[in-house]
Amino acid sequence: MIDVLTDNFDRFTAGLWVTVRLVGISFLAAFVLGTLVAALRVAPSRLLQRIGGVYVEVFRNIPLLVLLFITFAGVRRGGLDISAWTAGTLSLGVYTSAYVAEALRSGVAAVSVGQVDAGLSLGFTHRDVLRRIVLPQAFRTVIPPLGSITIAMIKNSAIVGASLLALPDLLKEARIVNSNTFQTTEAFFWAAVGYLLLTATATAIFRTLEARYAIRR
Amino acid sequence: MGYLFDPDNWEWLWTGRNLRFLLDGFVINLQIAAVAMVFALIVGLALALLSLARFTPLRLAAKLWVDVFRNLPLIFLILYLALSMPQGVREYWTENAPEILPEALRGELVLAGILGLVLYNSAVLAEIMRAGILSLDRGQRDAAAALGMTYRQQMRLVILPQGLRRMVPATVSQLITLMKDTTLVSIIAIQEVVRSGRQLSQIAGNPFVGGSDVQAPILHVMIFIGFLFVLVNLALSRLSRRLEVRQSKRTTGRRVPLSEEEQAVAVAR
Repeated sequence: MIDVLTDNFDRFTAGLWVTVRLVGISFLAAFVLGTLVAALRVAPSRLLQRIGGVYVEVFRNIPLLVLLFITFAGVRRGGLDISAWTAGTLSLGVYTSAYVAEALRSGVAAVSVGQVDAGLSLGFTHRDVLRRIVLPQAFRTVIPPLGSITIAMIKNSAIVGASLLALPDLLKEARIVNSNTFQTTEAFFWAAVGYLLLTATATAIFRTLEARYAIRR
Repeated sequence: MGYLFDPDNWEWLWTGRNLRFLLDGFVINLQIAAVAMVFALIVGLALALLSLARFTPLRLAAKLWVDVFRNLPLIFLILYLALSMPQGVREYWTENAPEILPEALRGELVLAGILGLVLYNSAVLAEIMRAGILSLDRGQRDAAAALGMTYRQQMRLVILPQGLRRMVPATVSQLITLMKDTTLVSIIAIQEVVRSGRQLSQIAGNPFVGGSDVQAPILHVMIFIGFLFVLVNLALSRLSRRLEVRQSKRTTGRRVPLSEEEQAVAVAR
């Protein structure tokens, strides 16, 4: 059992590191995009709200695998030479941003209207109210949902590695080890340990953040 | 942009049997989703009850099971099951699968796909159901016990109807995720819509695939497939919203809705 790990240690760690980078970059993209879309959804304009709503409905209901084919194979066939990393992080980021936007919107809804009114009557613009009063509180209330979104993202990163893209993530390395050694259960067991380590780490980080910053309601 | 909207690149959609070929694949997704949903809900409820059991070793075992399978990537489970399924089981299935199943569901790897979907989703659903049950006020159980109900009666008549109803939105969004995840079985060579789409864009003019010699660009095929999923999943969430309204009318009592935050937690899974 253990020799499959020790013999292929470099493969497993390299794959784990690719998965970590994939999740990290996609998380940043998802966070930025999700915040922008959440801002659209609470904007004081019907049109902007609608645009944000359509964005969320489309990217929450489309399978990630289909999104990956669109951004990689599809865009390449269209003549744009997109790299596997760009397509992978873009897909995972855009897909997750819809969930981030939804979580943030509910966080914004949890900030009382009185605070918005108070800000506006003090002469803040709508943008400043959102940036200085509402969003800082919203971020703090959505720490637990963001945690489960991140864990979903770690799991979804395996889809990126399993699709056509040449991204040697943890799952792909486990498959290579499997085809080299024919020890399927052992290869997949150690990859499972890797994924559980990642999700446990993410859980611990978000628990700490929650204990320190979360607003209890 | 010109490439995307050029009508020539959409011509494949109404030539030959292309559209029919894709929709046939999509029906397989719907069938796999339906079977997996039924089993995932049943197994999920059983796991939820086990993880609330009063017998400690049983409870801990159920919790460990749920935590492991909920935290592993689904694609990982499907691939592992497909690679490790014994030859005997595969042969048994291809020879003895019920005739009423469509041909695509009688393939030798279908069991691995469905088993993976059920293993993963039942764990996630168990956690959702458990949260719903635990969110009920303790007084509910105390009152039921004071009325002389046994543990089973308390669960069946008081706790489950309320606890599960509260989690309908979270359950439905997990079922929508399941619907999306049926595309993952394309990786183990089951003829569902993503696989059909890839074949369509690779082989123009093959009578067994689309039967049309118009080139189908993969970008446009996949956008169309994505559109199918958005359509079905939106219908699913509409349906669940109607269901909620009807139920809250029927139960009349104060239906304590879950907070936005609790729902978002569940939706994120």
